[in-house]
Amino acid sequence: MECKELEAVLAEEGLSPLPLEARNHLAVCAACQDLVADLSSIVSAAQRIPAEVNPPDRIWVSLRSQLEAEGIIRKPQMVESAPVGSWWSGLAQIFRPRALATVAATLFLVAGSIYLVQRPGMRTNKTVTNSTAPQTHPPDAAKNVVPAPVQQGAVTSPKIHVPPVRSARVTAPPQPRESHTELMPSPSENAYFGDSATVLSQTEDALPTRELANNAAVDASLRQNLRTLNEFIAECEARLKQYPQDQLTREYLNMAYQQKAELLTAMMDSGRSEH
Amino acid sequence: MCHPDKVVDRSMLFAVGTALFLCGASVALAGTNEQQERHFKVKDRPVVILDNIVNGRIEVKSWKNPEVVVTSSSVEGKVTIDIEQVGDRIDINASSVVSSSGPHDVEANFQLVVPEQTELQLRTQTGLILVEQVNGDMKLQSVAGDVHLKEVSGYIIVKTTGGSLICTLCSGKLEFTSISGSAQILQPSLTNVNLMTTTGNILYDGDFIRTGLYTMNSGRGLVEVRFSGSDSFDLNAQTYRGTVDNQAADFLKPEAHGNHHAQSKFSRGLFGTVGQGLAKVELSSYSGTIRILKRN
Repeated sequence: MECKELEAVLAEEGLSPLPLEARNHLAVCAACQDLVADLSSIVSAAQRIPAEVNPPDRIWVSLRSQLEAEGIIRKPQMVESAPVGSWWSGLAQIFRPRALATVAATLFLVAGSIYLVQRPGMRTNKTVTNSTAPQTHPPDAAKNVVPAPVQQGAVTSPKIHVPPVRSARVTAPPQPRESHTELMPSPSENAYFGDSATVLSQTEDALPTRELANNAAVDASLRQNLRTLNEFIAECEARLKQYPQDQLTREYLNMAYQQKAELLTAMMDSGRSEH
Repeated sequence: MCHPDKVVDRSMLFAVGTALFLCGASVALAGTNEQQERHFKVKDRPVVILDNIVNGRIEVKSWKNPEVVVTSSSVEGKVTIDIEQVGDRIDINASSVVSSSGPHDVEANFQLVVPEQTELQLRTQTGLILVEQVNGDMKLQSVAGDVHLKEVSGYIIVKTTGGSLICTLCSGKLEFTSISGSAQILQPSLTNVNLMTTTGNILYDGDFIRTGLYTMNSGRGLVEVRFSGSDSFDLNAQTYRGTVDNQAADFLKPEAHGNHHAQSKFSRGLFGTVGQGLAKVELSSYSGTIRILKRN
């Protein structure tokens, strides 16, 4: 047996007792031993992840110092560490004033992102799970021979052209596997997305209706980009409702939430700066 | 009795007079264009921070002299421009002084001449940011204005809401984030590139430096990469609802480094190696096209 074959066995069967042939190879191959050790640690770390995680202390410190710096809170009114298990509701209490919602949204998303990024196994494709989600593409969908739609607003390069798509000789993408390649989102991850959407929606509702920054061009650009983001977010959310384990969509949704938080903050600032 | 012709003449005279008065008043209200130029001596590597919260263009060029020259132009009485030097740091702030009673699109334009080795932090709303031949870290922010960089090097961070980036002959590290802005990276010598836009397009036309890392993501836009035959990189391109248009199949070999990408069943992907695979190129688009070409 070779390394590739062992990896295939691991992908198919996980860390359950390996066949004799695989064990023999493992006994003499240091690289595969490392791989199995990594997989074991990922699985054990994943099992230790609690259903909900409190944000790290540094988030609260950063939040408090920013609010103090802006004169929004004073020492006696400092934000206390959130009680375990109800940190989100505590945050909502603190940020009742509409103007603070953007700060909350941004910092919440940063905290969420840190959590998602640091969570072991989040981005690994080798974690063993049993996904039975429906196949979304035909078996040959992984091939890169696909029609190229005309893009709107293509990069204004003088050399861009759209020749007919050729068949690629070298793609060799692994065939989509029916299982083992996608992670089901954890409850805390779902809660993160749900909370983010709620906070951002509330912040958006609180936006001033008058012209932002008293500047027609800026106002138009900000609002147009907000619409753009909302459309993209809606597309991703609809997709995730259908296929919650779609990792690529989750990553794009996370990025869109962060962009929306930053955009809303900029819009709030523009609304305040003239008063 | 008054003659009818004289009545007409007087009416005409009155109308013309009124029109002239109104023209004069509007010219006076519009104010004159105010231009100022200030010079700041610096010792080492200066840091220039320009925060323009009104509209306007920012143009930065370099020279050999240890001096920063700031030239600004704005409508008199509508914009306040504060410039302060603290050591080698120069802070420039432009803000509107017009009351918020009604819409007003005031403008302040800046031309900066800085030493070649200068760090920049520039922010504007809708005008173009143009930087040429400056070596130093820079952070450039704009809402709707475009950013044009030519022959700059350093750690370059560009952030726009809807403005686009054109980066020609840039070197160092580049980060670009935008919602609807596009990015064109032309003839670069960049070792680290991270481009992200939600609906804009991305074009990378140039060499991949060995050991460099290149990440380009677009939600709905086109991601196009044009490499040369002497390049050496591992490629990972993925899209969920878009297409991967590989027009360089003859140059892409199966991945050579044992990176067994587990293809998600929710996306379409292309994995391959050009040359020895020394650099790493990761392209992704949610619903746009990813196109890979070899330059002639």
